[in-house]
Amino acid sequence: MLDPRIVYYGRRMEIKYGLISADSHAAFDRDDFTRRMSASKWQNRIPRVVEVEDNGRRVHRWTVYDGRPYQESVCNCPALMGDPFPTYPERWEEVPRTAYDPRERLKALDSDRVDAEVLFPNPPGGNYFEFGDAAFELDVVRAYNDALGEWSRISDRYLPVAILPYLSEPKTIAGEIARAVSVGHRGVNVLGQMPKSLPHLTDPRWDPVWSVCQELGVPIHFHGSAGLRAGASVRKWSGYTPRQAHSASTATSAVTPAQIIPQLIFSGVTERFPRLKCVFAEAGIGGLNYVLAACDHEWECRHLWTEGIVTRPSETVRRQMYVNFWFEAEGIKLRHHIGIDNIMWESDFPHVASFYPRSWESIERVVDGVPPEDRRKLLYENALRVYGAAATVSGEIS
Amino acid sequence: MQLKYGVISVDDHIQEPPDLWTQRLSKNRWGDRIPHMERAGDGTERWVVDGQLLLDGRAGRAGALMADRNCEPSHWEDVPPAAYMPLERLKAMDSAGIDYSVLYPTVAGLAGETFGRLEDPELELACVQAYNDWLIDEWAGASDRFIPQCIVPVGPIEATVTEIKRAIAKGHRGVVFPSLPMHLRSVPHVSGPEYDPVWTICEELNVPVCLHAGASSELQYEPFAGINSALGRSPERGDAAGFQCLRYLSLFLSRVLLRHPRLRIVLAESALSWGMLYMEWADHQFDHDGLAREGYGLKPSEMFHRQCFLTSWFDDVAPFSGYVGAENILWSTNFPLATSSWPRTEETIARCFRNVPAEDREKVLWKNAASLYRLQAD
Repeated sequence: MLDPRIVYYGRRMEIKYGLISADSHAAFDRDDFTRRMSASKWQNRIPRVVEVEDNGRRVHRWTVYDGRPYQESVCNCPALMGDPFPTYPERWEEVPRTAYDPRERLKALDSDRVDAEVLFPNPPGGNYFEFGDAAFELDVVRAYNDALGEWSRISDRYLPVAILPYLSEPKTIAGEIARAVSVGHRGVNVLGQMPKSLPHLTDPRWDPVWSVCQELGVPIHFHGSAGLRAGASVRKWSGYTPRQAHSASTATSAVTPAQIIPQLIFSGVTERFPRLKCVFAEAGIGGLNYVLAACDHEWECRHLWTEGIVTRPSETVRRQMYVNFWFEAEGIKLRHHIGIDNIMWESDFPHVASFYPRSWESIERVVDGVPPEDRRKLLYENALRVYGAAATVSGEIS
Repeated sequence: MQLKYGVISVDDHIQEPPDLWTQRLSKNRWGDRIPHMERAGDGTERWVVDGQLLLDGRAGRAGALMADRNCEPSHWEDVPPAAYMPLERLKAMDSAGIDYSVLYPTVAGLAGETFGRLEDPELELACVQAYNDWLIDEWAGASDRFIPQCIVPVGPIEATVTEIKRAIAKGHRGVVFPSLPMHLRSVPHVSGPEYDPVWTICEELNVPVCLHAGASSELQYEPFAGINSALGRSPERGDAAGFQCLRYLSLFLSRVLLRHPRLRIVLAESALSWGMLYMEWADHQFDHDGLAREGYGLKPSEMFHRQCFLTSWFDDVAPFSGYVGAENILWSTNFPLATSSWPRTEETIARCFRNVPAEDREKVLWKNAASLYRLQAD
């Protein structure tokens, strides 16, 4: 049944498997930007794939704004590359079409028994095209949002998330959000901490951005470490093996909700925008236990209702904050403590955290013993509600 | 050990008095570089060491004792006596139902990090030694209900080891170690083998290494400048947790705990709700990244259960004690910081320990701490 309080978009999606990934990554075709951006205006600044020399091998890399080619692989898709895990393609020919071709990818969704997925960036996309050139940024962001918007027109199983032209005036940014939503986007990806050259995340200057997201009912998203300088600034130990270094680096994502939510609440953003939905992707759910307890504690002991924060922080969190799980069996045991309506499943497909093509095996381990009503919420119902997606649920799903 | 209330608070802060360092350091040798209080242009008093302004330009940090806990004292005379006078502190402990209190510094850094920022290791050592001597003389000497912990110079490592030996011989019971020394000045990364002598001496002397939140200002997410200080300080809870989480993984990954199986680590001001996430996160990541292939005999959670402790002061124990382990949880009041449960400590404890079996409650509130700090049963 449709909830009259929610704005629904698009066609009715069919829920066949009972599983929505609230965090997957769509890769770009190598011509996604060149065919959308003006060659005469931007020439080699347009994101494109170039061949470069790397340790004696000719490899492909993305380059943007005529800059030094990216050091990372031309496509971040280890879940599609087989063993040894994780492997990353060095040349474009090695990139599986499943990563960047929305039609091909539907087959992968079926084989992993996933109904739909929320789409975050893959290189050369990111949170922020930081070249100090507002006109370029706006054009490249539009090309990005158009390219992913197309996915949603190919299939209603794709729920893309738009990115923002931060260097533009807030009014322009708000306009781009409205445009992106009109071409199929279901949310907006936001930096958790603005670069030093831009106003603070919670500066009222950004209010037009939050306002349009609230009005359109599209959630804002903080993905992974979300650009937090704090995490990035922990000096890495040079003695780690690559595996150790990767493990160590993931911890910066785990802290995202605990660092950002208190900023949003205590600055008054959530008081000003009580219907603004905020999703924390790839940060786990256990952090919300801490946010709930710590924010309530500070609010109580500092009497912050006298400072304009009239809503108890835990009520704010339950009202408008969402977190995603993929491995936390212990976290799921505390689902009612965290908020059964605030948790969604995510696969991170085709990135390194993904369990593809065995997503259900990991899910069965994590939600073992969870009653059907709660399982449905965790695995797809909450996502349908958060993204305002109308759906027909197949009778076989318990 | 005598217990009247059944609570050992493992994380409280003493406020250093203005003459602590000026009395103990040679004026001839160090001049104005000695940590001292000075009067600012606006008439307020503030702490300065070797040109660094401390405590955000305030005279002390004792929010829980102030009429408005969002306002830290701006003159020494406004600093409440329970912050810096042992006998007044004992009264506050009695009124809150606390038997023993494990002491951390304030001016010397909530995590013992202040002097690590000094570029001159000789001045650093002099400041550290003065603090360590003073805490024994003034606090440990006043009552055995105070459990003193030494601070350390972050380098050179020989100086760290020597000072730990000296301080423990004088009566200190724990070592407050600023957990990211390489963020303070140019010293080796804390995950490196250079620090092994420090961990070894703490194992040999059977004293815990206490990593308190707040050891690096680089990890702080500054609030929007347009909001007032009460609102601005509140998000610090998130920074504290974030920092502990990052530190947690490195303890396991760096194999420090594997190389030093008798080392005990207190993650002070970590909270339990957060602890559960990082335990589960570390085990998952360890498994997903295939680290078992790299020669670890234990999973992170196994190392944790063998050697680490989380501390809490505000969160519910029951949801987390099963997974974290009641043996690995310590309680605190965080007195007299603004975030402290004081003066409603007993009420807070009653709320936090709902549905916790008596046996676990005793472990968390005092038994684990008594064993860690070797308080003898009478």
